[in-house]
Parts: sequence; structure tokens; C-alpha cells
Amino acid sequence: MTRPTRYLAAVLALAGLLLAGCDRDNASNAADTDTPRANASEGETGGSRKGDFGPPQGKPIDAVLTSPPLVPPATGRDYPAKVVVSLDVVEKVMPISEGVDYTFWTFGGTVPGSFIRVRQGDTVEFHLRNMPDSKMPHNIDLHGVTGPGGGATSSFTAPGHVTRFTFKALNAGLYVYHCATAPVGMHVANGMYGLILVEPPEGLPPVDKEYYVMQGDFYTTGKYREKGLQGFDMEKAIDEHPTYVLFNGSEGSLTGDKVLTANTGENVRLYVGNGGPNLVSSFHVIGEIFDKVWYEGGTKYQENVQTTLIPSGGAAMMEFHMEVPGSYVLVDHSLFRAFNKGALGILQASGPENKEIYSGLEVDAVYIGDRAQANMEAVTVAAESASTGDLTVEQQVKAGEALFLGTCSTCHQANGAGMEGVFPPLANSDYIAKDPSALPRVILHGLEGPVTVNGTDYNSIMPPMSQLTDDEVANISTYVLNSWGNPGGRVTKDEAAAIRKVKPANASAGH
Amino acid sequence: MNRLLIVLLAACTMLVAGLPVSAADTPPPRDSIYQLPVQLTDQAGGTYGWKTLRGKPRLVAMFYTSCQYICPLIVDSGKAIEKQLTPAERNRLGIVLISMDPARDDPAALKKVADQRKLDTARWTLASPKADDVRGVAGVLGIRYRALADGEFNHTSALVLVDAEGRILARTEQMGTRPDPEFVVAVKQALR
Amino acid sequence: MLATALASALLLATPTAGLVAGGGDYATVPGGSFRSTLNYEDVVGNVDVAPFALMKRPVTNGEFLAFVKSNPQWQRGRVATVMAEPRYLSHWAGPTDLGQANPAQPVVQVSWFAASAYCEAQGARLPTWNEWEYAAAADETRRDARKDPVWRERILAWYSRPSNSALPRAGLQTPNVYGVQDLHGLVWEWTDDFSSLLVDADNRNQGDPDNARFCGAGALSMDDRDNYAVLMRVAMLSSLNAPDTTANLGFRCARDLP
Repeated sequence: MTRPTRYLAAVLALAGLLLAGCDRDNASNAADTDTPRANASEGETGGSRKGDFGPPQGKPIDAVLTSPPLVPPATGRDYPAKVVVSLDVVEKVMPISEGVDYTFWTFGGTVPGSFIRVRQGDTVEFHLRNMPDSKMPHNIDLHGVTGPGGGATSSFTAPGHVTRFTFKALNAGLYVYHCATAPVGMHVANGMYGLILVEPPEGLPPVDKEYYVMQGDFYTTGKYREKGLQGFDMEKAIDEHPTYVLFNGSEGSLTGDKVLTANTGENVRLYVGNGGPNLVSSFHVIGEIFDKVWYEGGTKYQENVQTTLIPSGGAAMMEFHMEVPGSYVLVDHSLFRAFNKGALGILQASGPENKEIYSGLEVDAVYIGDRAQANMEAVTVAAESASTGDLTVEQQVKAGEALFLGTCSTCHQANGAGMEGVFPPLANSDYIAKDPSALPRVILHGLEGPVTVNGTDYNSIMPPMSQLTDDEVANISTYVLNSWGNPGGRVTKDEAAAIRKVKPANASAGH
Repeated sequence: MNRLLIVLLAACTMLVAGLPVSAADTPPPRDSIYQLPVQLTDQAGGTYGWKTLRGKPRLVAMFYTSCQYICPLIVDSGKAIEKQLTPAERNRLGIVLISMDPARDDPAALKKVADQRKLDTARWTLASPKADDVRGVAGVLGIRYRALADGEFNHTSALVLVDAEGRILARTEQMGTRPDPEFVVAVKQALR
Repeated sequence: MLATALASALLLATPTAGLVAGGGDYATVPGGSFRSTLNYEDVVGNVDVAPFALMKRPVTNGEFLAFVKSNPQWQRGRVATVMAEPRYLSHWAGPTDLGQANPAQPVVQVSWFAASAYCEAQGARLPTWNEWEYAAAADETRRDARKDPVWRERILAWYSRPSNSALPRAGLQTPNVYGVQDLHGLVWEWTDDFSSLLVDADNRNQGDPDNARFCGAGALSMDDRDNYAVLMRVAMLSSLNAPDTTANLGFRCARDLP
């Protein structure tokens, strides 16, 4: 079977399985609800057999291509057209991580390559231009093409040349495209992949924000975050031991000042691809549930999904509605990839709080309860000493440690290391050393806006921990001041109380 | 003999100087395939530089006589194009099949194919270049080939349309009795 | 007409027309029986490579300049465009002026026709793919280093170097066991029979012969799929046509040994 047929068969098989499940539910709930389910007994699209809407009409259109994370606007057409796509192949050095460079091979100068958007039935005239200073020949295989090699047979392009082929987009869906020049794995591992969206004839329902994210695994001769220009490591690629697993080709591509943004009350749609070359993605957005997932980029959607599998060389679309402001972390839920190889991005939602949906940080009894049984004692001892007036620094430190572990360590880690680019470290912190009184101030009032700690920039939101009492703030501050190379000293309950009264300019509005 | 020497010297000098020897011998344009110095020996045993082929549009292809698989299709392709033309157009077009196997494709072998396929040698030329020139001819025509251990060849196939000066106008890799319609349009246009 | 034909023949045959003084040192590569990475259906077992002489390093800008000065028909702007595409020698300031191009750098932006003509003017020729592969299998101490992952990684490291950095000069690398330098890591190189590499443009189809496309059997598959260095060379050469030039493609010459 050709790939498109195999692909279609797989999608239909999966849809069939889901339909079987749904029908069972439908049968039992038929009496309760007459809400039509999108994935129940709706008709088939007919695939490629019904995908030809005749010859192109109107003037040829130059496709709008966008660089990630942006997506071109909807075609807004209701007729098949001729669309001209000109895609350049550029070999260029770009940072893969801070201080780490890599020679990427790209479509359109970015990893992933430019996003292409057409409508089912469109005739696409595809021009592939290989820049003259490229070392390698390249071609392209678009998974949305029905034809030999997905276009690869007809687009083998030497450096300084351009090739052209034309295809009709017969199947709707979200498709990966990638270079297929030998050795294919190496071309893909160097970043030669992207997405092409073939809209269904009726178009996709409008949403407020659309974003383009693509995961890929990278193999470098040096270790993770080893500085300098890194080369591609073929052995690691064959053994499937990536050094980096990244969204959009570099660490930090979707964090800091490059976070994806949305507002509460908005519908967000993500077009997410997985270029591979090797790994499958368990795509998840921390703090959100996908209201709809067009699994595998096909026509039908599933609802209410936490984590969706995106195969290597595959894609998925998901929609969700933002209710609560905050940072939503996009991850590959194979967690060591997220936290040790870079598969992490942030979608930041702004807007008013909605405490009924999410209250923000309260004292969560589970956290404190679990551990405090063992060392609540330190807190009790400190409280007693405080009342008699002979509270020592050691007692404050011990009490502060217990409280820190219960509250602060979830973000700043138990060893104060924080999370690079996301949560600043407290260990050996130049920010604290500069002004130790900042510590209780930030604990009480939170902090918003850009800060630099130990040479790294951060721009996140720390919520105010105003629910902590003055003793607790004093003890936690004293603990932090006396740990991990910080300057030492103490903060008293009265000092904490005084600081609570004065709200600084960079206080956080809250979570 | 003396006269011949003088003519030779004159020709030499003029060629080196880049001047035309005579109006009929102006060098072909820079984008002409005939810029490549190739000597052909055809089915009638005649030997000449292939730029003698200048003067009328031609379809050029590469083949070899012992080829069983696709080369018969190349002949069919040439015939199929001819069928699309009026008799007048047909006479204005020449078809040249150049062998990639000059070692075996001597005039007798070439003539055998011409006879077998009933090719009108007024319009069809079957010829072999010198062994060293085969790569160059393939290079200007965009043909790839490889000699196999048993004397056969693996090769790509194409019909290349050149104008009277040898400039490439069109090219098709579609072989067989059903010609490439866009290519036929190009041929007709060249014959106007 | 006959006069012209005879005159042409005379011109080509006369050695004084195009000899270039100097023009590359040659190393002797002894012959051998050799397992090529290219596995052709019609080739059983090893390939026999007869002893031959190979230039120690690729032809440089300076050497090629001398050639086009003596052979003006190969100058940029005068050369037949069927034999060299518009980017021919575009990195030189003028048809006989190197400009910023370093004379010691390997000459690039040369077509197969130009490379062949240069070698012919030397009384030499381009190496065949087998000769090139045979000589290139060696490292500094071994004739055949291809199984060594270190050898492969060294070669692959070249691909990660950005191609817009300046080309180093020819002859910088340590010679291999035959005394030949720069077969890897400098420029791609033309071979005489590059157009014999019948590789499907969709390189994933190896071993799946399309009989009509290449006229019969004789399919090519890669014997050693881990030998990416060779795979990439084949991919590169098979993407080119004889008049093409690229910024990373040069050549060196070979000679038969008596």
C-alpha cells in the first residue's frame, strides 16, 4: 500500500475503534441526551476519492508562508485554486541552546520550516529552491501529497538550483513535510521538517489564537548544554539517544520573551507536529485539558484529552479554552525529555483571576500534612521559643526548612536550584546577596517582571505568599539566607510584619 | 596537397581567432549542443562532426542497438511524435539517435535497426560517436547511463528537442506510443 | 566543410594548444580488490581497481586560472553554456581575475565539462567513482578505514561545518596512506562517471528497481547503510548534471599508469 493509503487506513481503523466505543455509550445514554457527538455516527469524508473538486479556479495565489510559532490565516475560500508555494532550503548555524550552536538544515530558514496552508482540492505548484551556498542536495516529501515519494522523486535539488512539481491536495488534514535525501535520518535530525495544513472544504472553525509547535530530537557530539558549535552525532542518532528534545528547534524557543500568549476567555488552537527523527511525543499542556484533539491530524476529533500521542512524522491539532490566567507549560510528558533535554515551552494566559475555577495557591494541606508529621516539631519548637523570646537562628532555620520543603521547593527545588529560564535559583543567589531584605518582600508580595539572577534572565510570575504568617515568613527567609552559600543573617517576625504593609512596585498581581 | 595544407592552416588560424571561416561555418551559439566537438559515424558509414546536423530542428535521443527493453520504445516515441505532425512538418524535422555503445554499434548494426524499424533515413539518423565522446553527449543531453558487466546498459531515456542552431527547446522523459502532449506542442512550434 | 572538420581534428590533437605548465603533483595508488559500498546487482563480489596515479590535492584556483588563460574558450563569459551553467567561476572577480579568491583554495564552481577539459589538457582524466572511492577509503595509516566509526565521524563532522565559511586552502590535511590529501572534508569532487550513479531521486527507494526508468535491471543498493559518508557523496553526485557547478564542488585529476 502507498503511504497515504496506509495512513488513511490507520486513521479509519482508529476512528472505527473509537466509534465502536461511542456507539456502546450512545446506546445506553440515548434516553438521557440528544446532544450530537462529533465523533459518533457522522459520515466519512471519502478520503482522496472524494477530494478532487475539479480544476483550479481563479487567479493563481501565492501561498502565505509563516515562520513558527505563527500560522498563516485561513484560506477563506470555498473553491479550489492554484496555489504557488516557493520554499527555500537554507543551511545555517543557529543557537540550539544558550551558548550552544548547531548547523541546521532548514526549510525557510527556521526549524521547523515554514507553515504551509492550503485547502483540500487545491492544486499546489511547489518550487523548492536550494540556496547556492548549501553543501548538500535536498528534496521534500510532503505527507499530504498523493504521488511517488510524496514529491521527493520530483524535487531532488542540487545546491543553487530550483525544482518544481505540482500536486493536488486530495486529503484534508495536518501533515508533516520533511527532506528525504539520503541519509534521511540525518537530514531530519538537522531540522528539515515542517507542517502543511490542508483545510477541509468547509474550513476550520475560527478560534482566537493559532500556534505552530513542532517537536524534534537532536543528536550532538557534545553533552547537553556543552557550549560551542556542536556537530551531529550519527552513532547517537542510530542508538536513539538524543541530546536534546526540543520544541521549535531550540531551548527557550517558547519561553522568556518568546512565550506563546493568549487571554482568558479565548479559544486557542495548537498545530503540533513531531518531526522526529526517532521519538514519539506524549504531548501535554500542564494545567490545561484539550477540549478537542484532532488526533494524528486527521478529520475526527476526540474530546477532553490530557495527553495525546504524536507519532514521529505525525501531527495533531488541539483546541482548548483559557479560563484562568497563568503559565501553562507545554511538555513531552516523557518527563526527562521535558526537564533534562529541553522539551518545554510556555503558553502565558493573561486576564482576570477566576477563583472559582482555580483559586490560586492556598495552603495545600496535602503537601504540608504529609511531611509536617515528621518535622512539624521544628515549627512547634520555634513557635514556643518565639513566645518566650529566646528564638535562636538555628531554630528559625530548622523551622524554615520544614516550611520551605512544604511550599517553596515545588518551584525552587529542595536544593534551591530553581529551573533555568523559568524559576530563579535561590542558591548562591546574587539577587539575594545584593539585598537580603528582598527575600521576605518577594515572599510576601510576589514578583512580576524581568529579573536577572546569577547571570540568567527570568520573566515569570511569582505569586504572593500572603497566606503565610509573619513567623513563617521570618523562618523561611532565615533558612534561605543561611543555606546554599547565601550571606547569612536572620529576619524577625516584626520585620516581616513591617514588610507586609508596604507593597513594592514589582509586586505580583497574583496567580 | 599544398592547397589542402594552406586551407588547413587558414582554417586553423581562423578558428583560433574565433572568426568565421565562411558564412556557412559560423560557430554555433554558446547555448548550442553542437558547441561540444563530437564526431559521428552514421548508419551509412559517413563520418562528420555533429554540428553538420545544424540547419533544421531535431529530436535527439540516446540508445544502443542491442537494447531490448526501453530502446525500442525510444524509436516508438520518435514515430509517435512524427504521427502528430503534418507531412510538411515531418520533413522539416530530423530525428537523431545516438548510440552509447559505439564499440558494437558500427554502421552495419545501426543500419540493421533502421531497416528493422523501417526508418526513413532521409529523416532519421542513427549514429555512433567516438567512445571518449559518449559521456560528453550524455552530459549535454542530460542522460545518465552505466555499462553493465554483460554489455547491456542501464540508462535514463529522454527525447531532446533542439532548434536549427542546436539550442535545447524542450525535453521529455515520457517514452512510448503516447507522446507527451506538451512536448508535441513544443515540436510543432519549433517547426513553424 | 571537410576543411573545417580536419582543422578541428588538428586543433584538438595538437598538444601545444592547451598544456598547462606544472598543474599538480600525483601520488601512486596501487591497485587492489575492493568491496565497494555501492552494491550493483550485476557486480558480484569485489571491484578490481587497477593501479593509477591520483593528484595529491584538488586543483586550485591558481592552477585553473592558468588553464583558462591558455584556453580562452573555457573562460567565464565565453564558455559554451551547455558545458557550464551561469554560475561557472562566479567567485572570481573576472574571467581571468581571481579577485578575492585565494589562488591556493580548491577551485569550485566548475562543471564536469570544464573539469574534464582541464584534466585532458594535462594528459590526464577525471578519476572514476571506483578509483575515487578506493583512494578515499584510506586514512593516514590504513588502506581501508571504512569500518572505523572514528573515520566516519570525522567525515560527518564536515557536514556540520557551515558552508558559508571560507574554504581552507588545498593541501592542509595530513596525507593518507597513499600520500593523497583532502579527499574528505574540503570539497565534493567530480568523477568521470558521475552520471553512472543511477540513483532514484527519492533516495529511499534503493533496491526497488523501476525497470522502465533505468532500462532493465542493475539496481543499486547501498552495501553498508552505515557508511553515510559514501551515501552522501552518491546523493550529491547523483543530483548533478554535467554543466552544473556548486560552491562546494571541485575536482582533481587521475592518470593511468603505464
